Formats: sequence, structure tokens, C-alpha cells
Amino acid sequence: MTASEPESGRGRPRLGVFKLASCDGCQLTLLDCEDELLALAGAVEIVHFPEVSSRLAAEGPFDLVLLEGSVSTEEQRELVHAVRARTPRLVAIGACATAGGIQALRNFADHEEYVRAVYARPEYVSTLAAATPASEHVRVDFELRGCPIDRGQLLELLVATLLGRKPQVPDESVCMECKRRGQVCVMVARGEPCLGPVTHAGCGAICPAYARGCYGCFGPKESPNPSALSARLSRDGASDDEIARRFRVFTGWAGPFREESLRRGR
Amino acid sequence: MAEVFLPREALGELLGALRASGRAVIGPTVRDGAVVYDEVESPRDLPVGWGDEQAPGRYRLRRRGDERAFGYAVGPHSWKRFLFPAREALWRSESADGGVPRIEAASPDASPRAFLGVRACEIAAMDVQDRVFLGGRADPRYATRRAAALVVAVQCTEAGDLCFCASTGTGPRVEGGADLVLTEADDGFLVDARTDAGRAVLGALPVVPAGPERVAAAEAGVRACAAGMGRSMDVRGLPGLLFGNLDHPRWEAVAERCLSCGACTSVCPTCFCSTTETSSTVDGARHEVLRVWDSCFGSEHAQIHGADFRPTIGLRYRQWLTHKLGSWTAQFGVSGCVGCGRCVAWCPAEIDLTEEVAALREGADPPAPVPAAAPPPPAPGGDPLLPHPARVTARRVETPDVVTLTLDAGDLGDVLPGQFLMLGLPGIGEAPISVSGGGGGVVEHTIRDVGAVTRALCALSPGDHLGVRGPFGTAWPLEALRGRPVLAVAGGIGLAPLRGAIRAMLAAPADFPDVRVFYGARTPGDRLFLDELDAWTGRPGATVAVTVDHAPPGWDGHVGVVTRLLRGGAIPAGAAALVCGPETMMRYAVEALRAGGVPEEDIFVSMERNMRCAAGLCGRCQYAHWLVSRDGAVFPFARLREVFGRDGF
Ligand SMILES: Cc1cc2nc3c(=O)[nH]c(=O)nc-3n(C[C@H](O)[C@H](O)[C@H](O)COP(=O)(O)OP(=O)(O)OC[C@H]3O[C@@H](n4cnc5c(N)ncnc54)[C@H](O)[C@@H]3O)c2cc1C
Ligand code: SF4
Ligand code: SF4
Ligand code: SF4
Repeated sequence: MTASEPESGRGRPRLGVFKLASCDGCQLTLLDCEDELLALAGAVEIVHFPEVSSRLAAEGPFDLVLLEGSVSTEEQRELVHAVRARTPRLVAIGACATAGGIQALRNFADHEEYVRAVYARPEYVSTLAAATPASEHVRVDFELRGCPIDRGQLLELLVATLLGRKPQVPDESVCMECKRRGQVCVMVARGEPCLGPVTHAGCGAICPAYARGCYGCFGPKESPNPSALSARLSRDGASDDEIARRFRVFTGWAGPFREESLRRGR
Repeated sequence: MAEVFLPREALGELLGALRASGRAVIGPTVRDGAVVYDEVESPRDLPVGWGDEQAPGRYRLRRRGDERAFGYAVGPHSWKRFLFPAREALWRSESADGGVPRIEAASPDASPRAFLGVRACEIAAMDVQDRVFLGGRADPRYATRRAAALVVAVQCTEAGDLCFCASTGTGPRVEGGADLVLTEADDGFLVDARTDAGRAVLGALPVVPAGPERVAAAEAGVRACAAGMGRSMDVRGLPGLLFGNLDHPRWEAVAERCLSCGACTSVCPTCFCSTTETSSTVDGARHEVLRVWDSCFGSEHAQIHGADFRPTIGLRYRQWLTHKLGSWTAQFGVSGCVGCGRCVAWCPAEIDLTEEVAALREGADPPAPVPAAAPPPPAPGGDPLLPHPARVTARRVETPDVVTLTLDAGDLGDVLPGQFLMLGLPGIGEAPISVSGGGGGVVEHTIRDVGAVTRALCALSPGDHLGVRGPFGTAWPLEALRGRPVLAVAGGIGLAPLRGAIRAMLAAPADFPDVRVFYGARTPGDRLFLDELDAWTGRPGATVAVTVDHAPPGWDGHVGVVTRLLRGGAIPAGAAALVCGPETMMRYAVEALRAGGVPEEDIFVSMERNMRCAAGLCGRCQYAHWLVSRDGAVFPFARLREVFGRDGF
């Protein structure tokens, strides 16, 4: 067995990269794969990737689409459906595409009021009331979490797709990575609030390595228990408001984090 | 015991002597607000003058106000990090000409090391992991590192806030397992060399005779420590208590608080669960397989057939505690807890297992019967984790999603019906697959395509290569069943693991005069081994009954579940039964067999659990008191009675 057959039935698997409301950081992670970039370019046919090439073919068809960004406008809502129709395998990448991202903080507030407060000419702003992840609109085959995504995980996704193996992207907690690295728990040893126990692994527990608690960039892990973490944080003296704000950073709109922050604050 | 005294000023000379013996010294050092283990070069690196305060979910260093170098209780690290590293390469493969993958074991770091400051509970923890990694199919990587480690123990004379080794009988006195034993006093160390290696190090040190007062003071310190433990745990009859109380309300209560983060299993010095991870080059030509610490709190641990059979935090916490304090004993001959308190201190949710055990004892139901403590059975040598190349010699399509491969796998020794091999493709992964036949140097495997690995296996053609490990597990007990009527009850792909046994019995009609095959498939098109089913039907003394769940028009055979075939006289007196299929099917089959008078001792079932290593080393295949890859997959049902069909096991 070598590489799996592309479903479009044409030579190398055809890759498309699309973006919705986002900062481009995640798709640029692809360009960060310096050592592997050449090999990747040989192994897949990059059909549509506006950030790097002007040769565009948004119509596809694709074997694999990486989709960055949240659905924030009506056009984006149409685009996400259109992209879904052009690929058998749609992978949402980054906190925006998988949880709504930082812009989803507006979902907790009065949208109109936000727009009036932020923009000089609010009448030119046409956005949906909520910024939402792709999975609220279409079926998503796989999610790569993170703000931004992890280079190693992106490579694994691509290599696994090429070889036909299940991508090894564990849905365990950040604590698992923290402990494998032999780091000293910042919550236990310093009383730093840390979202690691409820957050999806993938970053390698970077923040605890720098003596900071985890900010939850990768969103909720499998079977998270945010209210048990809140209980700990409040025993350590955090107010409900502080706790709610802690859950509401990069992935605050992700179900379990959203529910917990709503339980604790407004 | 000729104990001697090493003055405090000469501590550097101890480190020097250890280093001069060619060993890197790993010892305690302060980092990021805790005492961790790392390479130390001089006493300046040691936590001189540091102690700690610990409580559930809380750890703080404190100044002791003296110069003690070992005046702290155990911190977040344990020696497991050095003997069983958190990430470790197992093997690498490279595709070579002719498609034969070249597979090479990654060599473990065998450089000699001295572990300085090992506590009694930590020696006990090493003993526990020795039983896991060396007791059955030995892991050569662990063995190499273990043999290269010199243990310099320190007896505790002050108990930590969360210690309870006095309850678990694992400390604070250092009984065995150390090369040198130190007991710290204000002005120096009482030193006892227990092995030649220890004596060789001691020989280089400026020691003086200790004198009876120093010895007595050290003894008194250890006794005081035992009396002053910060925690205690009533360990009497714990395995029975836990398994007798699987529905205790406390499990739900702790589930509300537990984060299922896995911090406890990671810091525990005895937890050994691991998974594997493959990294591959983009061109798919080179792969490296790593072993990585894993936890029973993760979702993959209990994945079979697309579902996690331990989906809730309550079931996962119960798995951790019932294993650690309960089924560990049946699996390895000792409890998995050495009373170090790490899982209490480092639990972000402040859960204290001693408190959980005490709460479970409240209003507890009577204890369940548990199997006797059993150390792992002896097992063949060699590296059980290293695949050997095998070649596909024939491929036969059985049904639209099932393929039988015949493999020339070189010399595997005897492969018995009921046993399984790990079949793997570098870069894709491995799957446990039973043998469905073979002999004369080849093995047959019948594989259903359900996911990535099985898909890739099913796509292999004659001449292709793959990697195999094994054989693993127990066999159908044919020898013991001679002369008796035998029922083979199969559901779906479950006929494959039974085929070898059926063939063997039919080939020896004098020994097996009455063999009855009961087989259920989803549809007529899903029936396996059609020719053979026909051939078996014609054999004297053999009967074959087939049923399908869904029948298209034109099917005039049985319709319905396989257990319906077991009704009305289908079960002869004195019969034994071999059962293999989906677990629900096996549950009903066992019920029907029991109702038909077959004793539980004579019903044999083949169990499936998730597995990574198949050698009893990765912890994935736990099934209550058993490890499926080691004690099964074929079990007499009587052994499983208490847990069969229970949620979460
Ligand atoms: C002792 C034993 C003997 C087996 N014998 C056979 C056999 O003779 N023929 C056969 O076709 N299958 C057999 N199986 C099942 C086979 O191992 C799994 O179907 C296979 O591991 C799935 O791997 P995958 O990568 O193809 O699928 P994955 O993509 O990993 O998963 C596909 C599905 O299979 C489940 N699965 C994953 N790993 C296992 C596992 N170790 N055991 C059971 N389910 C798993 C997953 O939960 C998922 O639903 C046996 C399993 C065991 C434990
Ligand atoms: S620092 Fe955070 S991520 Fe690391 S173990 Fe502690 S709680 Fe978990
Ligand atoms: S018991 Fe504590 S450390 Fe263990 S998984 Fe639960 S919250 Fe994490
Ligand atoms: S279960 Fe807890 S107390 Fe027992 S050995 Fe493991 S970490 Fe130590």
C-alpha cells in the first residue's frame, strides 16, 4: 500500500485552502512547514490557495479542503456551503473555524450595540449577529484546533491523509502534554489559574512552560468538565466574573466553554 | 549491617564517586517551584534547605531553616520518567527495494545512571513496574535502563503531608531494592551499602564508623515518620470492596469533581498505560513508531467498534481506582498504589484517593469475590513490540468487506487456533487479528474492513509485505475437550477465530465425535467460508446451522439471532462451547448455553478490547482483573462472570 487514491481520480490529491473571517495565521502555518514544504508540494496538487498563488481554481473539485475562519457574514455562509459541496473531505482549521474564534465574543453581546461602538459608519458594516464555526453550518470531517493551529498537527493531518491512516490528533487534555514534558503544574505549585485540564491538547502545553496558565486556545477537550474547574478556581478566590472571562477567550463560543461562562457570568 | 557515617561536607564526594563510576547522577533539584528529578552534578544542585507543604491540589516549597538535602516529600516527578520515558522511539522502518520494509529497533539509551534520593515508596513503585515490564513478555528497553540504574535510596525520617506508605506497607523503611541506603541527620548521613555496586561506591568515600547512637537515631526517625503520616488508607480487602461496590453512589459524586485530565495517572509512579504514535516522512518512505504515555482518562483507551465503552468521567475514574487498588493485584500480584500521595497533590480538582476509598467504605455492599493475586505468567523472550516482516502469499475475497490473507511470516513457533497476531503496515498502524487457519509455515487471517488499518490490510495483494508480531493470547482449549460434544457458536466475523478450531476438531473425529457449528451472519451475502460451511455439513459427526439477521426473498434458511439455533435439543448433554462474536451476541449465547445445561467452566468466549502492544505492556486491553492480550482473548466464562456485560469494563 502506498498513498491512498485521490477521490477526484486525478493523480495527486487536490488541495484547496479557503478562508472566512480570520487572520490568516492558520493557513500560513502551511508555509511554516519549511522542511517538508517541497515534499508536500510534490505530493499534493495545490489547486486553490489565494495566500500563496494567484492561480486560483475555487471551483475545485478537491480531495481535501482546509477551511480557516468563522462564518461571520452572509457571503461566508454561502461560501461554506459551496465549499462543502466541492470536496469529500472538509477540515476546519483553527479556533475561528472550529469554535468561532475571538470574533465570536460578539455572540455574547448585543451585536448592534457593538457595531455602533466600534465603527464610525455602522451602516457600512454588514455582518451576521453571531460568528460561528463551520460545523454549525455544514458537516465537517475533521477539526484541527488551535489559535493558531500547530504545525506538527497540520503536517500529521496531511501526511495521514496521503498515507491513508487515521490522523493522530489526540483529543486528550493539555495536562497530558504538560506532564509528559515534565513541567511543574502552575495551578498546583503557584496557584495560577489554568484551563489545561479542560482544554484539547495540541500546543504541547506551551503556556505552562512559561509559567502561565493555559488560555484554552485549542478549545474543549473530549469529555471536558468545565464546572469542576470553575469550582477549583473559585476555591482559589476567583470571582464568577473572572471565571466567565477566563472561559471566554479564543474558543469561548465552543459549547462546553460557552455554557460554563454563561453559568458564571453574563 | 555495617552502617557507616558520611559527614555532610562529604556529600559532594558521594556525587563525585557516583560520577566517577561512569554514571550520570539523576537526583532532586528545585525547578519552577517544586522538587523535580534531573541530572545533578554537585550538592549545590540539590534542594538543600528546602521542604514542602502539600494538600490536595496544592504544593508549595518552604524553607526548612536547616541544611538538609533530602528534607522534602516526593514531588511531581518520579523515576518512571527515566525508566519508562514519556516518549520513546520503539522502531523505525524504511521502505526498500522490492517493497520489503526494513524494520529496525530503536536502541534505548543504556548509559549507566545513578538515581539519588530514591524513597522507599519509589523503590516499591519500581518493583511494581518491574512486574509490569519484566514479569511477562519483557520490554527490553525498560530492562536495559533498569539494569543500568544504581539506586541510592534515602530513608524518610519525616512524613509528607500526603504520604501514606505506612498504610500500603511500602515504606518508610527501605527494605530491599537499593544499592546504597542513606538516612539523613543534621550533620551527615548514615550509609548502608547493600550490593557490591553500592560497596564499590562507598569504598571511595571518607566514611567513619557510625556508632550505635546514630543507628538508633536513624531507626527512631524512620519510626516517627511511619507514625506521623499525613494520610492513611485502610487497604484491607480493597479489591473485593471495590468490585463489590461498582454501583456505589460515590462514583457519581467524584465524577462531578473529576476533570478526566489524566494528571493523576501521569504523576503516579506505577501507572504504565501507553499508546503509540507514528511519524512519517511526507513521501511515506520512512516511519518512526513511538511509545507515548497515555491514560485511562482518555477517550481512546476504551474504543472498540467505533464507540468508547467508558464514555463518562465516572466510569473512567472508577476504572482508574478499581485498577490501581483492585484488579492490579490479580494482574501483577501487588497493589498498584505505593502510598506516595502524588495523585492527591497534583490533581487540579483536589481529589484525594484516600478520602474516596474511605467514602466508598461507608455503606458499602459486601465484597465481591476476586481472583487470587497472580504474577504475570512466564512468556517468550525477544522484543514483543518489534514487528517481523511477513509476505502475503494468497488473498481471497470472502464477502464485500471481508478478505482472507495467507501469510508467510517465517518462524512464529506454534500458532494455535484462538490466538492472534498484530498485523501492521508501517505508516498506517497495527490491528489485532486472530488466526483463522494455517499450518505448515503459513498463517491465515480473515479481516473485516472497518477502519484505516483493516482497510489497508484488506487491500494487500499476494507478494505484498507487512509487519507481524505474535502470536499472542490464549488458545481454544481443544486438548481439554477431547471426547466431548463441542458447540462452536459464532456471530459475524467471529467465525474466523473459530475456523481453525473447527478444522482441527473435524480432522480428528475420534477425539471429537460430535461437533456442532452455529453461525449467525447479518445477511446471506455476509456469510464467511461458504465452501467450507458446505464441506463441514457433510462430515460424519458434524452439524452446521446457519442463520441470518436479514433475509432477502429467496432465502429459505433460518432467520433470526444465532441463539435461536441453540433451542430445543440443540445442546447435547456434557457439551462444551466455544463462543466468538459481538459482545451482545455472546451475552445471549452464554445465557442460552447456561439454560441448556452447559456449566460456565465449559463455556469459552473470545473477548475483544482495544490494544496497542498486545504484550500486556500498554494497559489498553484491561478487562477488570484480566489483560485480554495475556489472559485471553479466549477465557472460560466462569472467570468473567462478575464483570461480563457490565458498563465500563
Ligand atoms: C484479540 C482480537 C482479535 C481480533 N480478531 C479479528 C479478526 O480475526 N478479524 C477482524 O476483522 N477483526 C478482528 N479484531 C478487530 C480488529 O482488531 C479491529 O477491527 C481493528 O483493530 C480496527 O482497526 P482499524 O484501524 O481498521 O480501525 P480504526 O480506524 O482504528 O477503528 C475502526 C473501528 O474499530 C474499532 N477498533 C479500533 N481498535 C480496535 C481493537 N483493538 N479492537 C476492536 N475494535 C477496535 C474502533 O473503535 C472503530 O470503531 C480483533 C480484535 C481483537 C482485540
Ligand atoms: S499547568 Fe495546567 S496544563 Fe499543566 S498540569 Fe497543571 S493544570 Fe494541567
Ligand atoms: S482525579 Fe484529578 S488528576 Fe485524575 S483525572 Fe480526575 S481531575 Fe485529573
Ligand atoms: S495511586 Fe496515587 S498515592 Fe498511589 S502510588 Fe499512584 S500517585 Fe502514589
